[in-house]
Amino acid sequence: MDRDLDVRALEPPEPLERVLDALADLPVGDRLRVRLRREPFPLYDLLRRMGYGWSGTAAAGSFEVLIWPQDGGRAPGRSG
Amino acid sequence: MKTAGLSLEQAPPIGLPLRLFLTAPLFLVAAGLLLAAEADVLLVSRWTPAALAATHLVAVGFLGQVMAGALLQILPVLVGAPVPGVRLVATLAHLFLSAGAALLAWGFLGGGGWMLVAGGLVSALGFAVLLGPLAVALTRARGATETVWALRLAAASLATTVVLGLILVVALVGSVRLAALPAWVDVHLAWGLLGWVGVLVLGVGYQVVPMFHVTPEYPRLLRRWLAPLVAGALVVGTLLTAWGAMPGARSAFLIAVAGLALFALSTLVLLQRRERVRVDATLLHWVAAMLSLAAAAVAAAFGASAVLIGVLGLLGAALGLTAGMLLKIVPFLGWFHLQHRQIALGRFDLRVPHMRSFLPETWARVQLVLHLLALGLVLGALAEPRMGWVAGLVLALAALTLELLLVVAAVRYRRVAQRLTSVP
Repeated sequence: MDRDLDVRALEPPEPLERVLDALADLPVGDRLRVRLRREPFPLYDLLRRMGYGWSGTAAAGSFEVLIWPQDGGRAPGRSG
Repeated sequence: MKTAGLSLEQAPPIGLPLRLFLTAPLFLVAAGLLLAAEADVLLVSRWTPAALAATHLVAVGFLGQVMAGALLQILPVLVGAPVPGVRLVATLAHLFLSAGAALLAWGFLGGGGWMLVAGGLVSALGFAVLLGPLAVALTRARGATETVWALRLAAASLATTVVLGLILVVALVGSVRLAALPAWVDVHLAWGLLGWVGVLVLGVGYQVVPMFHVTPEYPRLLRRWLAPLVAGALVVGTLLTAWGAMPGARSAFLIAVAGLALFALSTLVLLQRRERVRVDATLLHWVAAMLSLAAAAVAAAFGASAVLIGVLGLLGAALGLTAGMLLKIVPFLGWFHLQHRQIALGRFDLRVPHMRSFLPETWARVQLVLHLLALGLVLGALAEPRMGWVAGLVLALAALTLELLLVVAAVRYRRVAQRLTSVP
C-alpha cells in the first residue's frame, strides 16, 4: 500500500524530518508518496545512503516523490 | 543558493560559526549596560561618546560577528567549494572583531585618540580577513543572481564603511584635516547601516523569507533593481557630500532609505500571504523589524532627530532581525550537522531530534518580548531620559536571554553528537 504525506506547507527542514519519521514507521512492503513544493535534492542523498529507492515527478506547482525500501531501508529509528 | 549545494563536506566545522554566534550577543549586553550606566547622556545626542561607543559595540561586536559566522556558512554554498583556510579566517575574524569593538568603545569612552586608532585598525583587520574570501567567492558565484548581486554590493558597502571609518579616526586624532567632519560621519553611517546591513538583509531576505516562511517570491522587478538602487543612491550621496552639496546628498540618502522601506513593506505583504500557519519567534521578529524599518524611513522623511531614526533602524530593525535569524540559524546548524553525522556513522538506531526541539520556543518568545520592551523603553527614554537606565537594563537582559538560548541549542547539539559517537 502507498502511504501519502503532504509537506507542501512546511518550512525546511521540516519536510525532511517528516519524511524520515514516516520512513521509520513505514510498514514492511509499503511505499511512501510525498508531495513537496520543490524537488528535494538534499533528501536524495540521504535516501541513497539509507538504502531507499525513489522516483520523482513534477506536478503543477509541486513535486511528488515515491519512496520504497530497496537496499536495506534503514531509516533512523526504524525497528528491526 | 539552493540547498542542493549545502553539503557537510564543504561546510566549516560547526564550532567555527558557533564561536562567532555565541560571542556576538555579549557585545549587545555590554551596549545595554553602557546605556544603563550613561542613561542621562547617551540618548541626548548621537555625538556623545557613550552613544558612539554603544553604536560600535553593536555594529562591529554584534552585527559584524554574526555576519562573519553566517558568511562562513554561505560562501561554500555559493561557490560549491570550502572556504580556504576557514579555521584561520574564523579565528582571526573572531579575535579582531571582538578586540576591535572593545577598543573602539574604550577609545570613544575616554581611552584617547590612539585607542581609537587601534580599535579602528583592529576592526578593519577583522573585516578584511572576511572580505578576502568573500570577494573570491562572489566573483566565482553562479546562480541566484539577485542575491549574489546584493551580496556583492553589501560587501563593497562594508569595505567603503571600513575605509571611511579609518579616515574618520585619523581625522579625529588630528592627523588629517577633514572639512565638514559631521557630514562624513553621516556618509560612514549611511554606507554601514543602509549599504552593508540594509543591502545584506535584502539579499538574504530574497532567499530566506520565501523559504522559511513559505511565502510567494519577492517581485522580480524588486529583486533585480532594489539593491542597485540603494547602492547607487549611496554613491550619489557620497559624491554630493564631497562636492559640498549637502541638501542633495541628504535627498540621495533618503532615496536609499525609501528603497529599504519598500523592501520592508513587500516583506510584510509576503508574510501576510505565507502558507506556513505556525507563528514562531523568528517570524514575529521579522514583522517587528520590518515595521520598525518602515517607521525609521517615515521618521527620516519627516526630518526627525537622528537618534530616533538610529534607534528605530539599528535597535528596532537590525538587532531584532539578527536576533530572530540567530534563533533559526543556530538550531538549524546543530540539526544539519547531526543529520549528516548520523548517516556518515551509520547510526540508524538513533533518531536525530527535530530542529524545533533544540530551542525552547517559549523562551524564544520571552526574548522577543524583552527585545520589544527594550525598544519601547529606549524610545520612551528619548522623551524622558530618566527612563534610560531601565531601558538599558532590559536591553541587556534581552541580549542575555538571546545568549542563553543559543547556549542551550549548542549544548543540546553536543549532547546528541556525543550519543552518536558513543558505542551503541
